[in-house]
Amino acid sequence: MRWDFASVFANTDALLAGAAGTLRIFAICLVLGLGLGLVVGLGRYARTKWLYLPATAFVEFFRNTPVLVQILWFYFALPILMPFEISPLAAASLGISLNSAAFSAEIYRAGIQSIDGGQWDGARALGMRWGQAMRRIVLPQAIKRMMPALTNRAIEIFKMTTLASAVAYVELLQQGKLIASLNYNPIEAYTAVAVIFLVFLWPLVQFTYVLERRLKRDE
Amino acid sequence: MAYQWDFTPVLANTPLLAQGLLNTLKVTGTSLVFGLALGLALALLRLSPRRAFAWPAGLVIEVFRTTPPLVQLFWFFFALPLLVGIEMTAFMAAVVTFSIQSAAFFAEVFRGGIVSIERGQWDGARAIGMSHAQALHRIILPQAVKRMIPALMERAIELMKTTTLVATISYADLLFAANEIAQKTFRPLETFTVAALIYFVVIFAFSLLAQQLERRLAVSGESTVH
Repeated sequence: MRWDFASVFANTDALLAGAAGTLRIFAICLVLGLGLGLVVGLGRYARTKWLYLPATAFVEFFRNTPVLVQILWFYFALPILMPFEISPLAAASLGISLNSAAFSAEIYRAGIQSIDGGQWDGARALGMRWGQAMRRIVLPQAIKRMMPALTNRAIEIFKMTTLASAVAYVELLQQGKLIASLNYNPIEAYTAVAVIFLVFLWPLVQFTYVLERRLKRDE
Repeated sequence: MAYQWDFTPVLANTPLLAQGLLNTLKVTGTSLVFGLALGLALALLRLSPRRAFAWPAGLVIEVFRTTPPLVQLFWFFFALPLLVGIEMTAFMAAVVTFSIQSAAFFAEVFRGGIVSIERGQWDGARAIGMSHAQALHRIILPQAVKRMIPALMERAIELMKTTTLVATISYADLLFAANEIAQKTFRPLETFTVAALIYFVVIFAFSLLAQQLERRLAVSGESTVH
């Protein structure tokens, strides 16, 4: 067996289109997932059960079902209830974002809980309202502790974007499949895709190690 | 115009769903056994003072933690058989992929657990004449395993969720069965909802079990590592 990457390099355009698709869905899911996660995380932290219960149900449901099942549900099942079509990008983004929101909600909650009660008391003593204390005093301190876990979540989201290929969204793995079937070169095509993911994610992984070390040193 | 839900076509296919769930558990169980064993081996190699052992183990762990599991699955299913000239069923490809992939994560849990045991335990074992392997086997691992159990269970649950990827290479797991039933009955809404609920019940049950175990371990006075 001789390796021959020429047939992969001949399809650089297809891979670039795939990389653009991967980065696009990653950006969407990162913003929606981590943003919605903060809302749900605050809900999980709330004392009123009208906020706490729905947030908890959301977290438990999305953490305890596989993300691929969620994506296929949004793609095949949801359109039946909706008067409009759902694109592969929309279905995959919904599945990945809601799943990531559930996981990041737990990171936010744990981060906020880890802040000493005295910080709250101090903020209140200065006359701050709950929202002000949260935004100005508690969150800025908690974010630092959450950074390694949130960066890990971002890496997980990046890896999860490959699942969008199951609903034929054009991303890197989908393009790898296409190249492999057109050129009969699955070895080179899938190796190339794996290497591209390593190139994207390796620096990010090393960055989380730096964050973890720095946090351990500071505390 | 409200949609008329009708679960009877899905319920008529209960045997197919049951077989799918059984196959899901089969892939999960087999990968879990191999993954744990390989994970422990990788952790011990990575902790070895010899760079010739530690470095390759570290590389395997990092590569399999860093690349997406679906890319790994496609590589082992479509590329590896051509490369080494062997036939590979979807089940085999899935077990190979998920064993190595989960081993990479298990290895970090094992390593964290072993490192967390304080130095004096090693010194004590050495002082009474134990070799490195004996100290590890009789003194360090028994203490470390207890601390690792919550993180190991969490990873095992992740593994079960990851096995849904086998549906993309046409192995008849629960998700694949659901897809088939949805196409056959033209009832995707009911079918995928039922499939999601089955996954939720099974995985949530395991999660609750893991939480209970974690609480019991915490009560017995040991701190846990993640």
